[in-house]
Amino acid sequence: MRRYLIVVMTGLLFLTGCWDEKQFKNVKLVLSLGFDQGDEGQIIQTVSIPTVNRATEGPGSESLQILSTSAQTPLQARNKIDLMISESYDPSKVKVVVLGEDLAKKNIYPILDDMYRNSRSNLNAYLAVVEEGTAQDVISMNHAGATRISNYVSGLLEAAVSSTHATGENLQLLCAELLEPGIDFSVPMLKIEDEGNLLTFSGMGLFHDKAYTGEKIDAEQTTLFMLLEGVKGRVARLTEKIDDNKKEEILDYVTVNVAENDRKMKIENKDGEISVTINLDMKVKIVEYPSDHLYVKGRVEEIGKKLSETLTEDSVDIIAQLQEANSDIFGIGRRVKAYHPDVWKKIKWEEEYPEISIKPSVKVEVIQHGIIN
Amino acid sequence: MSRRQFFFIIIQTQIGVGVLSVPYELHTVAKQDGWISLLLGAIAIQLLLIGIWVVAKNLPQDTLYTMNDKLYTKWIGRPLSILYILYFIGVGTLIILLFCRMINVWVLPNTPIWVTALLMITVCMYMVHGGLLVLGRMYTMLSILIVFLLILMVFGAKEMQIMYLFPILESGWGKVFSGINQAIFSYFGFIVTLVVYSKVEGTNKQKLTTIVLAHWFVTLFYLFTVLASYTFFSTSELPLVPEPVLYMLKSFSLPIIARIDLFFITIWVINVATSFATYLYLSSIGFSDLFKKQSTTKFIVLIGVVVFSISMFIGMDIKKMEAFNNVVTYSGYVFSVTLPLIMVPLSFWRRNKDKGAGTS
Amino acid sequence: MGIFTRFFRNNRDILKDRHMSEPSGDKEVPTTKKLTENVKYILDAFHQTNDLKIRVLKKGDATLLYLESLAEHEKIHEKIFAPIEMGHTDDVFQLPNAKHTHDLEEAVRTILRGHALYLEEGKREIAQFSVTSSFSRTPEEPQNEKVVRGAHDGFVENMMTNINLIRKRVEHRDLTIKYFKLGRKTNTNVAVMYMDGIADPTLVQEVETRLHSVDSDMIHSPGHVEEFIEDQSNSPFPQMLNTERPDRVAANIVEGRVAIMSEGSPTTLIAPATFFMFYQAPDDYNMRWFTGTFVRLIRLFSFVIAVSLPAFYIAVVSFHYEVIPDELIIPVKASINEIAYPPILEALVMVIIIELIREAGIRLPQPIGQTIGIVGGLVIGDAVVRAGLVSNLMVIVVALTAIASFVVPSNELSTALRLLTFPLILLAGTIGFIGIVFGMLFILIHLTRLHSFGVPYFAPLAPLSLVDLKDTFVRLPMYMMKLRPKDAHAIKPIALDPSREWRNRDEQKQSKQGGDQTSTTNKPKE
Repeated sequence: MRRYLIVVMTGLLFLTGCWDEKQFKNVKLVLSLGFDQGDEGQIIQTVSIPTVNRATEGPGSESLQILSTSAQTPLQARNKIDLMISESYDPSKVKVVVLGEDLAKKNIYPILDDMYRNSRSNLNAYLAVVEEGTAQDVISMNHAGATRISNYVSGLLEAAVSSTHATGENLQLLCAELLEPGIDFSVPMLKIEDEGNLLTFSGMGLFHDKAYTGEKIDAEQTTLFMLLEGVKGRVARLTEKIDDNKKEEILDYVTVNVAENDRKMKIENKDGEISVTINLDMKVKIVEYPSDHLYVKGRVEEIGKKLSETLTEDSVDIIAQLQEANSDIFGIGRRVKAYHPDVWKKIKWEEEYPEISIKPSVKVEVIQHGIIN
Repeated sequence: MSRRQFFFIIIQTQIGVGVLSVPYELHTVAKQDGWISLLLGAIAIQLLLIGIWVVAKNLPQDTLYTMNDKLYTKWIGRPLSILYILYFIGVGTLIILLFCRMINVWVLPNTPIWVTALLMITVCMYMVHGGLLVLGRMYTMLSILIVFLLILMVFGAKEMQIMYLFPILESGWGKVFSGINQAIFSYFGFIVTLVVYSKVEGTNKQKLTTIVLAHWFVTLFYLFTVLASYTFFSTSELPLVPEPVLYMLKSFSLPIIARIDLFFITIWVINVATSFATYLYLSSIGFSDLFKKQSTTKFIVLIGVVVFSISMFIGMDIKKMEAFNNVVTYSGYVFSVTLPLIMVPLSFWRRNKDKGAGTS
Repeated sequence: MGIFTRFFRNNRDILKDRHMSEPSGDKEVPTTKKLTENVKYILDAFHQTNDLKIRVLKKGDATLLYLESLAEHEKIHEKIFAPIEMGHTDDVFQLPNAKHTHDLEEAVRTILRGHALYLEEGKREIAQFSVTSSFSRTPEEPQNEKVVRGAHDGFVENMMTNINLIRKRVEHRDLTIKYFKLGRKTNTNVAVMYMDGIADPTLVQEVETRLHSVDSDMIHSPGHVEEFIEDQSNSPFPQMLNTERPDRVAANIVEGRVAIMSEGSPTTLIAPATFFMFYQAPDDYNMRWFTGTFVRLIRLFSFVIAVSLPAFYIAVVSFHYEVIPDELIIPVKASINEIAYPPILEALVMVIIIELIREAGIRLPQPIGQTIGIVGGLVIGDAVVRAGLVSNLMVIVVALTAIASFVVPSNELSTALRLLTFPLILLAGTIGFIGIVFGMLFILIHLTRLHSFGVPYFAPLAPLSLVDLKDTFVRLPMYMMKLRPKDAHAIKPIALDPSREWRNRDEQKQSKQGGDQTSTTNKPKE
């Protein structure tokens, strides 16, 4: 036994580092990836590669290398980039994948196929679309914050998620909605402002099937949009205009934090005619109400009522946008398939969806109004 | 061997390579109703297990191989035992092959399969060499890892969409029933009951309880994996992912470790080792029963070498592997289902004969 | 030396001196009446050694023989000359502390034990007086097993002192001690100690058989004995517990285990031992059980770190770097980016450097040892990182591993753990996580297969015994440890009967008092 062990151990000694070894120190990490539409059906891939130099004490100095190349497929582009850098390119820690608007309007699955297929890839990455711009601009942008672009974008998106502006779905979760019929998804949109120095979250881009529709829900409306989808981040803050009689404009507004939200979707089937009602019950805390007077009896209830009305109106707007874009974000189609399979088989959902009636109704109850009245 | 060890031997044998692909296999046939097939399969196996228990109860002193001798006479029993041994070696080889393939695809794409196969076989040889008691102790201890597997899978439950399970029975009962076939495959391994039954302490009734508990534990475990992956992946995505459980975990990350799938597969390796070790044990004990030898060392080495050479011969060739897979799983029907069922009436006859001999 | 116990044999009223473990079966050589012949025999037996002193008495008619180096002059005077001078008796043979024999071979042996022989012309009898001198240090606390709270004494090199320490702690007639003489040339005294009626007789029998079968010229320490009697030599894990603490030995003996001591060494072996016994320290039982449990969990956690941390690190940085969380990825990358050597080489070099420092410091006198520690640890560690030979992360990993390995209370096991890291490092460097899993599995199988004197080594985990986990991963309050651990194979399983009945009584009293109080408060109202 012992002799056998010694043989095995010496064998191992000689074998170490064969086959699959991939030294972490010898790879070029790619943390953010960008894809754009190129000429003649080609795609342009842009990557930023941080190189960190070690310092004996404290954090080392960091330099960024930004490379861009066009090719037929993402992997081909990767091969090309490999030829431009020392050591090898490794996408297994990619944090954000940014798509140019033009490219997003086509089928996005082929772009992501390699990510889905490779066992090392990071499916926890975020996907974002650049509005009126190219991914290349975003990746190579010279922003003031001086952090890595991947950190910037992912931090921006995470903040959007926690303030209930975005769903925070990663590539993996998008995949189900990408492939499943009867359910669509939305992707955060980014916009470059301030002459390329500032990146803003500009809303949620609506997708239909596998492509961007060109429509988006504006950033101001996304919170309600998320709440309608049943998603709530750490904070969901809504600012609404509820009055129209004050002299000062600012006194017309109220800001609330959503404490509890409960969304119920009801799908009714009348002889193959689908109608949907979405009930959103919310309990909110008033966090900002400049006109005060909350001690007036019935004022709080009144605000609740007014909020319910305005929010229902806003919801109608949002849903109209969704139907216009033919983007079934709420997965109504999949529910129809699940609970009314016979109807599903008869109709062509893509054609049916913009036509069906979707009735939102938002109910707001004020439960708190801060430490003053 | 205690009944607790018996319980863990059964579950560790059944939970093995299959865990990763059961949801997918069921889905290919029965779509989102795969879990119904799984439950129906479990009930079928439950009936079979009672049959096996009856056989074992009627012949309380014997292992599978000595039973063969007694029930079918020496002339049929001996060749049958040899076939059983070959079957067990076949299953063992299949386990090694599937294991190597999985490791190759998920973790180590460039490592030649002989390395992983050799490591697995030698470690299991060392374990089996310790005898049944060591197996029982190891399995009991390692079962804590099954809890870890469950905990890891719970991460996926956050994103559960019950909706994906509907519409129930979309593809009809016919598909659900043909799914039972796939379900039963994942339960193969219960045959170990028949071999070690006589070595377990306790009354027949207690042992039956253990067997039933073990079976339903495995069923629940499978059900959990199946439901977890069916509710995570949409119906149209599942056909694309042969190892849904792993794929599901790929996107989750904990604050200290990203990529949970790697940890899952690492723990899973141990479950594979326990399954393979059981088959190695079953075939080695077969040899020692056949040749009436006490020491199994030589047989274990022999079987190890055989398994290694067969798996090297088949290698990663998908066609050969598919063919081998079919041969082994379908012969499972003969060895794990048909033969035990034939043994039931024979065992009664034998018991009566023994009783008659005893009284006269 | 020697405790002379007396006993009656059958009904015959003959009292015999009883001495520890005489090697029976040696030839007997009867004495002759001629003094010179006897003396010559003894002198020859000792090959005319120069320290064999011959004092001629009674003008050549009698003589006193002893080994100058073993005997103490004071004692000779006190035992032989003083009584005669005092006039109690004229005849040396009549002295009460004399032991008589007619066997020259026995005489030779007793001289070796430090006796003085008195021989007289014309008499066959030889009188033996125990005049041995012994030098022993005081029973100080052993350096390697210090405790914060608890007994601060330890075994010394003298076996009688050691047994004395045990007997003082276990004042019970069931404490049985059996002597053996091991080593053909060294004739080392070895004692086996156990509680009769608690320890499994087959276990005691087994220990005795194994000790009897030792047939070596020299036995110099329990470590030496251990190799002869342990179950499996081809294992890195120690299968008998080594300790120099009398309280630990006493506790284990009462638990039903067997202790083996040998003359000339303070170390005592305890058998059977299980893996988790090496993780129990006497300190645990002097703490409150919360802290005791916490400390013990930390210790067991240190086992995992000590064995697998370097391997895990290597697997991560050279195979699976995708498991590094996003926030850490750049710092880690920065730290190892410009290291010249692959991590496996780094790790091996660092682990070996640590071993070198440890080995260099261990035998040096205290002040120099400290210097080595500072030079080795601080200077080399810092310089090696600054020079870019080893990454600072690797230094952290290896240092952590070394510290974790020293957390184990037992020195043997700690060395074993450090040894086990090497194969795991190699496996991790070959196929990453999968390699580590196989390595760990191999170690677990090995632990499960090991037995120590018929007891499964990895008990109570394999075989699983839920009851015994109370003193393994956790340390429950003492009064809950009603049963002795199964792995000691005690024949009397119950260790304590309910010991906190007073609580019931107190509770009753309290409820009564409560009743009284209400009645007293009622009184003033009346």
